[in-house]
Amino acid sequence: MKRLIGPLAASMVLGLATHFGIVHYAPSFIMDRAYTMLGERGTAVHAFNLAPQMRPDTQSVVRPSPDLAYSACRFDLSAATNGVRVKMAAYDAYSSLSFFDAETNNFRTVRGEGEQREVFLFPPWLSDQTNAAPSKKGIILIRRLAPTDEDYARVVEAAKGDVCEAIKDKA
Amino acid sequence: MKRLLTYLGFAIIGIGIGGYSALAMAGLLPGDRRTGGSIEIKKWYGDFAMGSEDASPYFRARIARHGLLALANTEAVYFTRTVDDSGRPFTEGCSYLLSGGTMPAQWWSVTLYDAENFLPDNTDNALSFDASRAEAQGNDNGAWSAIISAEQPGEDGGWISSKAAGNFDLTFRLYVPDDGVLEQPEEMIEAPSVERLACAGGAS
Repeated sequence: MKRLIGPLAASMVLGLATHFGIVHYAPSFIMDRAYTMLGERGTAVHAFNLAPQMRPDTQSVVRPSPDLAYSACRFDLSAATNGVRVKMAAYDAYSSLSFFDAETNNFRTVRGEGEQREVFLFPPWLSDQTNAAPSKKGIILIRRLAPTDEDYARVVEAAKGDVCEAIKDKA
Repeated sequence: MKRLLTYLGFAIIGIGIGGYSALAMAGLLPGDRRTGGSIEIKKWYGDFAMGSEDASPYFRARIARHGLLALANTEAVYFTRTVDDSGRPFTEGCSYLLSGGTMPAQWWSVTLYDAENFLPDNTDNALSFDASRAEAQGNDNGAWSAIISAEQPGEDGGWISSKAAGNFDLTFRLYVPDDGVLEQPEEMIEAPSVERLACAGGAS
């Protein structure tokens, strides 16, 4: 029995390390896959892409709402060291501009309320900035209420005014 | 050599148990339908830590798998249910009556998803019922209803298609919840009921 103490201890240590490693890294792994997949489907880094109306054949992320129109922008602050400027154009129904970090946390959301909204996002290492992102990479999402084809057509027009861009010069 | 093989065997067992328990507890196993949640209202389950840094590692992993890019609770709250009012799992082979009343939010919706967390693969264009459709029913007291079924029940009335959905679940979203919802959800939210009506083949 004594001979099994060593293997048992090693088994427990490896089991716990595996368990907590999977739980800890699963969100960032899934988020990284979503980040990559959005890129493969046409969402560039630092540019908004309006997704087609959410239908079974157009959905790309789990549990999309078919009543909402989604515009996504991927951010990578290692390629935008001065930060990112984001503008959500005005829309006359529910809209929101939300920011997700690499751990899947929704770290900021700005509601549209019929107005244009502008937000600056700065790199995490600029800790004195109140608008610093928690991670270098993440996803920015605009949701606009669009239950009908007519609503979606209005979103198409509104989305032309959305901006997601790297800031070229320091303010 | 035998000693080395003993260590190797125990290591594989440890990694297997650790890995499986992590996948199970974080809702990452295939076919895991438990969306979980600390709040239960009439068989709808939700957790207001969704989307926030306050979420536990297990819940964060579960949401990454089953509801990636969910909004934090100040903007939206989410509830999911997998069973009808009598506790039987939802299935494409049965029809259901979804009904409710006025909701404490700027906008709300109920959407059907399949076992893979996606909209089921059909072209019915009827996968959700929302506040605008409820309003269109025009009932003075705010009451509304919709049928969930694989075939359209009629030209009029609300309908959510379960065609090609298999065993499905429903997600109830409340966008811009009213003041007090986060503090007293059970008191503020009169969650929709889902009554099973009939099943193909005459099952009761």
